[in-house]
Amino acid sequence: MSDVVEKTLTALPGLLSLDSQPGSNKLSSSSKLGNLIRGITELTSKHEEEKLIQRELTSIKEQVSSPNTSMRQMKELMVRAIYCEMLGYEASFSYIHAIKLAQQGTAREKRVGYLAVSLFLNESHELLLLLVNTVLKDLQSTNLIEVCMALTVVGQIFPKDMIPAILPLVEEKLNHPKEIIRRKAVLALYKFYLIAPNQVQHIHNKFRKALCDKDPGVMTASLHIYLQLIEENPEGYKDLTTSFVTILKQVVGGKLPMDFNYHSVPAPWLQIQLLRILCLLGKNDQSTSEIMYEVLDESLRRAEINHNITYAILFECVKCIYTIHPKSELLEKAAKCIGNFVLSPKINLKYLGLKALTYVVQQDPKLALQHQMTIIECLDHPDLIIKRETLELLFRITNAQNVTVIVDKMLEFLRINKDDYTTIDLRMERKL
Amino acid sequence: MLLFSRQGKLRLQKWYTATAERDKKKMVRELMQIVLARKPKMCSFLEWRDLKIVYKRYASLYFCCAIEEQDNELITLEVIHRFVELLDKYFGSVCELDIIFNFEKAYFILDEFLMGGEIQDTSKKSVLKAIEQADLLQEEDESPRSVLEEMGLA
Repeated sequence: MSDVVEKTLTALPGLLSLDSQPGSNKLSSSSKLGNLIRGITELTSKHEEEKLIQRELTSIKEQVSSPNTSMRQMKELMVRAIYCEMLGYEASFSYIHAIKLAQQGTAREKRVGYLAVSLFLNESHELLLLLVNTVLKDLQSTNLIEVCMALTVVGQIFPKDMIPAILPLVEEKLNHPKEIIRRKAVLALYKFYLIAPNQVQHIHNKFRKALCDKDPGVMTASLHIYLQLIEENPEGYKDLTTSFVTILKQVVGGKLPMDFNYHSVPAPWLQIQLLRILCLLGKNDQSTSEIMYEVLDESLRRAEINHNITYAILFECVKCIYTIHPKSELLEKAAKCIGNFVLSPKINLKYLGLKALTYVVQQDPKLALQHQMTIIECLDHPDLIIKRETLELLFRITNAQNVTVIVDKMLEFLRINKDDYTTIDLRMERKL
Repeated sequence: MLLFSRQGKLRLQKWYTATAERDKKKMVRELMQIVLARKPKMCSFLEWRDLKIVYKRYASLYFCCAIEEQDNELITLEVIHRFVELLDKYFGSVCELDIIFNFEKAYFILDEFLMGGEIQDTSKKSVLKAIEQADLLQEEDESPRSVLEEMGLA
């Protein structure tokens, strides 16, 4: 692998002699797109913008229908059409040309063609059928970049009825030596599963293989499918609990390659997916839950760093702990976590803390009462969202003891804020 | 996922659910209004219709994502952050102009990193490598063939 990288690196300066950096602006400042954008930003009124765009669209329309337009020019025209559509103007005449571009262009043009197709069309569009042939051809190409592009587009938008035609091709990509292709194939299959679950039934054991794949990227991709499958049928996958727990242990223990780290937290999205899966598997099931206690404890402990992402993991952990069969030490630690969130000066964490309290109040009403005063203070918070969340929470935690205090505070709040929180208030009255 | 400027100009939009054109426009307008009305110190999460909205402002651009009920808001904030990091690495200290003039490249990065609305959690390096490999293809036929051959891909 390393000598391939070396060869690429030596080839780079020659290829990029036109550019100073890989990502810099390939379109020179006199390019048509640049001019269009500059033109739009200089205009002041919507009316003028409309006029300019209409002119632009007419010119694009002429050029795309002309037989003399080369693919290269077509690419430029497509980008401009995408831009116009993004601003809200319709450019449906360009859709068919986008498909043609994906079909006939070289790799770079194909890429723009596929992008245009994924942005312009939706799943029920009749032109989508024309795309199928192109995708089929590209999937069988020896050029791996074309295969990647085809798989990416399949993962985003594909007509349901044509799935049988393409399924075998995508399936065989699951065994491809290159991990990026395997990963994209898994995600394409996930998309198929979402739109047509019965078509994909027979290849569940292939998903298992993907789960054990040595490349973490492929394994992560398979988790999306598993999350969906487990949501629908937790019982069927309980036997996989130990595998998931092992994977999570390895991730939390830092066994993944360094570049999966995000701000020194190992593969956070992977952790969260696994936590969600474990949450579903352990619900109402003591024996399965017992397998996970250790790894949940470990995750809680490791996520001590002060960064948004660790808070995200903690939140997911806490949710998991409260959903599965309870264990007192874990509950204690989770409760402490929620407490920290609610007391935090960071507004996003406060919001999450309040949300978490609302979630756990059925199982552990004492926790909310512990933080009662903080919650009531939140009613005075300048942010409307926090106020709303607080009201929701207060409604749930009222009991005979604190009702007077809370109702007093709420009435005061209503007097100051003339908003339609009367519905929530009415619910409270009914409860009393 | 929407990107828009402080003046309410849309810079990028990616939809992961099938929605009619007219509804899309309406949603975009509504969302922009709501998010632009928020003051700087406020919470990054909103509830809108039956979805949760997570937004973050970077310089003059707002990055806005709509997620479902059961999704984790903080992680979405980090998804946005990761996307910004990727853009930064790719363009080299990205600014709004880079995204405006090269929005199709921003789309390519977004597609590589979030497929079908789910993050692929690949390492930052492999996402950028995939984009760069595709970028290395020039219009002329000779160069792409030799680069690909050298890389052992063809």
